Amino acid sequence: MARLHPLTLLTAAVVPAVATLAIDRWPVSAVVLAVLVGLVAASGLGRTVLPAAAVVLAPLMLSLLLTHGFFFVEGQTVLWSAGPLHVTTEGLSFAADMGLRTAVFVVAFLAFSFSVQPADLLSVLTGLRVPPQFGFVLCSTLTLAPAITARARRISQAQQARGLVVGLGLPGRVRAVQQQAVPLVLALLHEAGSRAEFLEARGFGAPGPRSSYRLVPDSPGQRVFRWTALLLLVLFLVLWFGAVG
Amino acid sequence: MSSSLTLPAPGKAAGRNRRLLEILGGVAIAGTYLYLVLNQPADIVNGLSSGATLLALAGFLLGAVLLIVGVLPTLPTSTLVLLPVALVLNIVLGQFVGSTLVPFYLDAIGTVLIAALAGPAAGAATGALSSIVWSLFNPTVLPFAAGAALIGFLAGVAARYGAFRRFYFAPVAGFLTGIVAGVFSAPIAAFVYGGTSGLATGAVVSAFRAMGDSLLGAITKQALISDPMDKAIVFTIVAVLLYALPRRTTLRFPFISRFRVLAGTRGA
Repeated sequence: MARLHPLTLLTAAVVPAVATLAIDRWPVSAVVLAVLVGLVAASGLGRTVLPAAAVVLAPLMLSLLLTHGFFFVEGQTVLWSAGPLHVTTEGLSFAADMGLRTAVFVVAFLAFSFSVQPADLLSVLTGLRVPPQFGFVLCSTLTLAPAITARARRISQAQQARGLVVGLGLPGRVRAVQQQAVPLVLALLHEAGSRAEFLEARGFGAPGPRSSYRLVPDSPGQRVFRWTALLLLVLFLVLWFGAVG
Repeated sequence: MSSSLTLPAPGKAAGRNRRLLEILGGVAIAGTYLYLVLNQPADIVNGLSSGATLLALAGFLLGAVLLIVGVLPTLPTSTLVLLPVALVLNIVLGQFVGSTLVPFYLDAIGTVLIAALAGPAAGAATGALSSIVWSLFNPTVLPFAAGAALIGFLAGVAARYGAFRRFYFAPVAGFLTGIVAGVFSAPIAAFVYGGTSGLATGAVVSAFRAMGDSLLGAITKQALISDPMDKAIVFTIVAVLLYALPRRTTLRFPFISRFRVLAGTRGA
C-alpha cells in the first residue's frame, strides 16, 4: 500500500469518530465499528491495532457495564433484580450507547496512530507552522520510552546485585520502589541536562523558521478526498443538529 | 546558557502573540467548562445532547493546543529536554496504575515535577502535551488534556508559593489541587464516557449509584475520593524526588532560585 499523507489518515479517523459521536445511537455505532474493524483487518493493521484497542476498551466496557448494567436507578424496565442490583433495559442501552461510540473513537484513532509515520507527521506539522519544539517532544518521547524501560531494568538488576531484597509488607515494597525510582529519575534528569547543552550548541533554541528535508508525498486525489470528507462532515453535522435540536 | 550572538534576538511582538495564545487557550478551556456545567441536563438518561459533547470536546482540545503552541517556544532548552522524560514517566506509570485494581491514576508525576522545576506555564503545557502524546496509545485520555493542563498549572502555582518548601505542605497542596482537578474532570468523564475508564473507579461510582445518586453526582463524588488522594501521593513523591536531586541540577532552573521553591535554595 502506498504511504498515505498524514492528514489524509487523520481525516479518515476524525470523520467516522465525529459522525458516530453526533448520531449517538448504539446500533449505528455498532455498524460503524464493524466496518472499521473490517477495514483495519483488511489493511493488515489488525494485529497491532485490535489488541491495543482491546487493552484500552476492556476496562472501560466492564466499568460501564458494572455501573449502568446493575445500578441504573433511573431505569423503568427491570429485567432482573436482586437486592440493590437492578438490570434494566435503559441501563443496558445507555451502556451500549456510551461504550460503542467510544469504541469507534478508540479504534479510529489507534488506526491513525499506528499507520502514521511520526517523521511524516512532524514534517507536515512544521509546514503548518506548529512550533518545532512540539516535534522534538513528540518524537523524543516515542524514542525515549524503550530506552527508559531498558535503563529501569538495568537499575533494578544493579540494586539486586548489591543485595536489594523486596521485603515483605508495604514498607519493604515502598523502600524497594524508592531504591529503583530515585536513581532512575536522577539519571534521566542528568542526561536531559547534557542533552540540552548539545542541542543548544546546534541552534535548537534559536528563533525563526525551520526547513524540513523530508518530503511527504501527497496527491491531488488525497487533497480532494480530505476536503470532500470534511465538507460532507460539516454538512452532515449542520443537517443532523438542525433536524434533531 | 548564553543567548546566540549570531542569530537575531526574538522580537517583542512575538512574545506578545505567545502570551495572547496562552490567554486564549485558558479562556477556551474555562469557557467550555462553564458551558458544560451550565448546560448539564437534569436527567442523565437522555444524556447531554451529543452536539454539546462535541462542542465540549472541541473546546477543550482547542484550549489545550493553544496553550501548547503559546508556551512551548518560550521554554528554555534546559526545560524542554525534560518534557519527554516527564511524558514517559506520566504515560508509563499512568498506564500501569490504570490497569491495576487501585482507584488512583498516578499519571501526573512528570507534570508536577516539571511544574515545580519550571513554573505554572511549563506545567500546563506538559500536562496538555502528555495527554496528547498518550492519546496516540490510548485515545480515551484525549478529552482530559485540559484537566491535565490545569493540574500542571496549579502545581506550578503551589510551587511558586512554597508548597515544596516544607515537607508537610506538599501533600496538602496536592490534596487541594486534587479537589479542583476532580471537580473539573468529573463532567468530562460523565458526559463523554458516561462513566470511568477503570474498573476500580467504576466500582466506586457504582456504589454511589446504588445509593441513589445521579450519574454526575456519583462520578463527582468518586473523583473527590480518588483525585485528592492521588494528587497528595503524587505531590509527595515529587517532593521526595526534588530533594533527592543534586543542588547543581535544581539550581539550573531559574524558577527554583527566583521563587525559592525548595528550602535553602535562595537565589543569588
